[in-house]
Amino acid sequence: MDTQNTAVSNTSGNQEVLLRMEGINKSFPGVKALDNVSLTVKAGTVHALMGENGAGKSTLMKCLFGVYSKDSGHIYLEGREVNFRTSKEALENGVAMVHQELNQALKRNVMDNMWLGRFPKISPWCPLTSEKKMYAATRKVFEELEVSVDPRRIMSTMPVSQRQMVEIAKAVSFNSKVIVFDEPTSSLTEEEVEHLFRIINMLRNKGCGIIYISHKMEEILRISDEVTIMRDGQWIATRPAKELTMNEIIRLMVGRELTNRYPEKDNTVGEPMLEVRDLTAAYSKLRDVSFAAKKGEVLGIAGLDGSGRTELLENIFGTATRKSGEIFVHGKPVGNKNARDSIASKFAMLTEERRATGIFAIRDIQANSTISSLRRYLNGPFLSDRKLSEATEWGIKVMSTKTPSQKTQIRSLSGGNQQKVILARWLLTEPDVLLLDEPTRGIDVGAKYEIYQLILNLAREGKTVIMVSSEMPELLGVCDRILVMSGGRLAGEVDAGTATQEEIMTLAAKYA
Amino acid sequence: MRFQKATAMFLAAAMALSLAACGGSGSSAETTAAPEPDAAAAATTDAEAHAEETEAAGAVLEGPVAVFYYTYGDTYISSVRAALDAALDDAGIEYQDYDSNNSQTTQTEQVTTALAQGASVLVVNLVDTGSDDAARNILEQAAGKPVIFFNRSVSEDVVSSVDNSVFVGTDYEMAGHMQGELIGNYLVENYDAIDLNGDGTISYVMFKGQEGNAEADARTQYGQEDADAVLEAAGKPALSFYDSANSNKYLVDQTGAWSAAAATDYMQTILSQYSEANGNMVELVIANNDEMAIGSISALQNAGYNKDGAAVIPVFGVDATDAAKDAISAGSMIGTIKQDAEGMAGTIAAITGNFVNGADKFEGVETDNIVGTWRVNIPYGIYTGE
Amino acid sequence: MADKNAAALSKEKWNRIGNLLLNNAMYIIIVLAVIYISIAKPTFLGLSSIVNVISLTAAKLPIALGIGGCIVLTGTDISAGRVVGLTACISASLLTTVFKVFPNMTQALPLPAVLLLVMAVGAAVGLVNGFSVAKFKLHPFIVTLSTQLIVYGIILMYLMNGTNNGQTLSGLSDSYRSFVTGTLFKVGTVSVPRYVLYSIILTVIMWIIWNKTTFGKNMFAVGSNEEAANVSGVNVSRTIIMVFMLAGVMYAITGFLEGARIASANANTGLNYECDAIAACVIGGVSFVGGIGRISGIVVGVLLLQIIFTGLNFLSVDANMLYIIKGLIILIACAIDMRKYLVRK
Repeated sequence: MDTQNTAVSNTSGNQEVLLRMEGINKSFPGVKALDNVSLTVKAGTVHALMGENGAGKSTLMKCLFGVYSKDSGHIYLEGREVNFRTSKEALENGVAMVHQELNQALKRNVMDNMWLGRFPKISPWCPLTSEKKMYAATRKVFEELEVSVDPRRIMSTMPVSQRQMVEIAKAVSFNSKVIVFDEPTSSLTEEEVEHLFRIINMLRNKGCGIIYISHKMEEILRISDEVTIMRDGQWIATRPAKELTMNEIIRLMVGRELTNRYPEKDNTVGEPMLEVRDLTAAYSKLRDVSFAAKKGEVLGIAGLDGSGRTELLENIFGTATRKSGEIFVHGKPVGNKNARDSIASKFAMLTEERRATGIFAIRDIQANSTISSLRRYLNGPFLSDRKLSEATEWGIKVMSTKTPSQKTQIRSLSGGNQQKVILARWLLTEPDVLLLDEPTRGIDVGAKYEIYQLILNLAREGKTVIMVSSEMPELLGVCDRILVMSGGRLAGEVDAGTATQEEIMTLAAKYA
Repeated sequence: MRFQKATAMFLAAAMALSLAACGGSGSSAETTAAPEPDAAAAATTDAEAHAEETEAAGAVLEGPVAVFYYTYGDTYISSVRAALDAALDDAGIEYQDYDSNNSQTTQTEQVTTALAQGASVLVVNLVDTGSDDAARNILEQAAGKPVIFFNRSVSEDVVSSVDNSVFVGTDYEMAGHMQGELIGNYLVENYDAIDLNGDGTISYVMFKGQEGNAEADARTQYGQEDADAVLEAAGKPALSFYDSANSNKYLVDQTGAWSAAAATDYMQTILSQYSEANGNMVELVIANNDEMAIGSISALQNAGYNKDGAAVIPVFGVDATDAAKDAISAGSMIGTIKQDAEGMAGTIAAITGNFVNGADKFEGVETDNIVGTWRVNIPYGIYTGE
Repeated sequence: MADKNAAALSKEKWNRIGNLLLNNAMYIIIVLAVIYISIAKPTFLGLSSIVNVISLTAAKLPIALGIGGCIVLTGTDISAGRVVGLTACISASLLTTVFKVFPNMTQALPLPAVLLLVMAVGAAVGLVNGFSVAKFKLHPFIVTLSTQLIVYGIILMYLMNGTNNGQTLSGLSDSYRSFVTGTLFKVGTVSVPRYVLYSIILTVIMWIIWNKTTFGKNMFAVGSNEEAANVSGVNVSRTIIMVFMLAGVMYAITGFLEGARIASANANTGLNYECDAIAACVIGGVSFVGGIGRISGIVVGVLLLQIIFTGLNFLSVDANMLYIIKGLIILIACAIDMRKYLVRK
């Protein structure tokens, strides 16, 4: 194991090399997932790892953690060659990871999740777990990181962003030397992102090496010291962050120029379409929301996490229970008591958590595309295979979904393609009003552009699109108007053409 | 979402109502109308009853008689229950029936409950016949109150350990012996007709009800051994199991339920392999109970045997259930061994009455049937039609 | 370099062969079992033996087809056996020559009327199951555990009715018995019973329901992601209720057929039938993960279990060993099958 440690030397400046991955290869049946990839992380730096989905970032990290066994190549941690077989082994050696998709025991409380697999014992002689010690230890970590979460709170009662913070705190609590953040901000609000960056800076000052995986250019350029870019399983470039521009990164990632991050807006706002009056939810804090949306309009909804954005969409769509309020389409009231009702009144809803409430993971593209519009494919009492596959084919074409076939399980597609399939599902119901909750979450840059284009195409066809997003640039770039939610109420409305992020943030804090 | 609170209330109300309803119907149907003593009163009656018994026999016991059946699902036990309910009603004895649902745990708990309610006599159809502990535990709980065990065997040690306990049963080995004898005699009389392939020996199949049950073991063993003994005495060769490779010499119901379905499936499989055309037809069916006999007849009938005008493969069972009697009168079954449900119920009712009235426990019981001071055997009978 | 490529290629080839074997493991096990048993006992492949295996499979198929839907919903149904028992008792009591349960009756009811009646009874139990699962959000295990007890109580009460006194029901009318066990057609000298045809019809109907109706597609959607199904406009409650009702109808048909096939119905009829049915479904790839399953898989599962049981019987395997072998088969078959759905790492 130690035979090669003489080969390692500090190649750059005064910063010590913490982790070095060299010539990593990994193949899956039919795919070369990693082709001779190298990565060097120095102590006290943030190293961004970038690339489109499928570029091999996650595979590389999984090789580091022993989730996958690499086919060839070497990994050195502080000059010593290592080959972790399990993530537990990696953790014990000071390498931790904050996963993009939270794998938490939702029915258990915060501290149970923090100390899972290493519960503190009452004493060496009494192998029972000590709640008291666990509570104290959790409090200590939280205080250090300025996280305000009750260690006894049940995970499932907390918003995604807080669960993410718990996950981050857990990684820190291992006293790790190397911490990998995999898309840590995808479910965080701007404010929470700032908090996360404070934590990352603190870790950097302590001499940790941070690997930061993200799609968000602004973040990368702000936080990282070095950037490694991957494409199609290959290493493309490693540069100091200072020397890079956003367009340069995109060019390296996509392999071509992508001059505009948002497509040109060519939709025309028409006559009034949807009106919501005094909407108040029965079981959430959403209250007294009134607004109107027009035909061909893209209406954005901004706000902090927990401000009631998602609840607003759920109440309009009938998947949450309304206490009072009315919804009008073309001046006529609609019931929208449940999803079926809403579909009948030509509404569609793309949910926030794609994995939990969007996709039928083990079912194929066809089943996922047609589930909301099955009635359209009946021949007498029976479904017609021909009609089903024609509809699915249409969806794949319109969305330019990349899939081997209609019979492919949706879980094997990338996030962007999954999202396209769900959008196709809704387009097949021929809706007039589309409610999109975080439509680009966890999707890579190229695919995001396509989704924006699709949204604008829908608006151009005269549909009303209402879109919730945590990414303000996205709202400003795609929408016509933006409603800002705060504390369950509507805090204000801005024109997307003229508004600034600061304006929106001020409104978002109004009732918070 | 909103309806749930209302629904929950509704459910709670429904539950309360159903419990009340059950309580009401239970007491009116199963017990004669005597006011339920409250807990304190029950305790004093307990103590009094106990004291009276030890001091002076001949006093009258108070409180209902509690009867525990190992399961209501057993056809024969159902006959006993129907007869015993009638007999106790006739005698004007207040009683309460319990279904132990084939679980000794359930039964033991039911005994505790019944005693807490002030039961005067326990009539127990024990679930667990494998060990003495269950029966001993019940005697300890009874603490001097009379306990009558019936049907499922309890060892002499346990029953004799107290004065006022009796076992009313059958000599369980008798059923097997009688079945074997019945078969032997029938075969000797009709030997050539039964020996379909004319090879001089009768090939048979034995259906066993359950593994690890003493009665099933005895019936499986003696049903064949005693038949062999009769055959040998008549100068005939012994029975031969249809499948020489099977060292068990029986096929057992895997679920242990002595079920007709198991016998049907086995018999159907056998008939797919053995037939007259192959010269290896099974020529005799012995079943541990009538259920399995009926099940095998169903498969035989599907294969064209044992119905009007067709060849009859002799089938024998035990229990003399109504279904078996019907099959015998229809000619599709030859014989069965009769467990006398009415006889057993009558004896239990008589002994219960004796305990309640403080008479000698065996008063009025057929003396030939009494074994020592602890046991009454209800004789089996051979049933081959009326 | 060429060597390396060749090595990679052959590795991939082996991988593919391995996957092929594993994906068809059930069929391979069946073929191996048949080969082994028929070498030891050549009569196993005889005409009458094949008909026997097929007809026993047919007898056990409907209940498995019903329970399969419940498993697709990530649930289960342990009331199945008792519903079979109840409906068998009802069928046997009405289609008989000796009316002990209903002493006032003098003539058996028409067959179709009784069949519809028991189907309604099965559907009613299914309705209670499905309603409780869908509306009270209870786990199907606990719901059907309860209804199983309730149904057993009803069976016992039913059998005490009239002059029956809890006795086994028999003396079935000839028309009933021949409707179920009569000869469908003869292959040589071996007759195939009619219930084989009924089983085939039910299988076809169930295949159409599962694959060609909106209800079927909705069932799979609810099984694989209930939340997403709700958002997508699927009537989740109605789907769940209908799956359980359909299952109840299948149990009822099983009971109707079993009543005549066994020709004796009592309180123990149908006991534990659900265990074999659930095992067969899971062996056939209907996964407790939910949203996964095929009718062909269920048929294969039932057939595999039946071949093994019948085969062990042919091989005169010791009774005690039967339990062990049965347990191992179910365990191994499920493990092999589950492998297909694991996310490979």
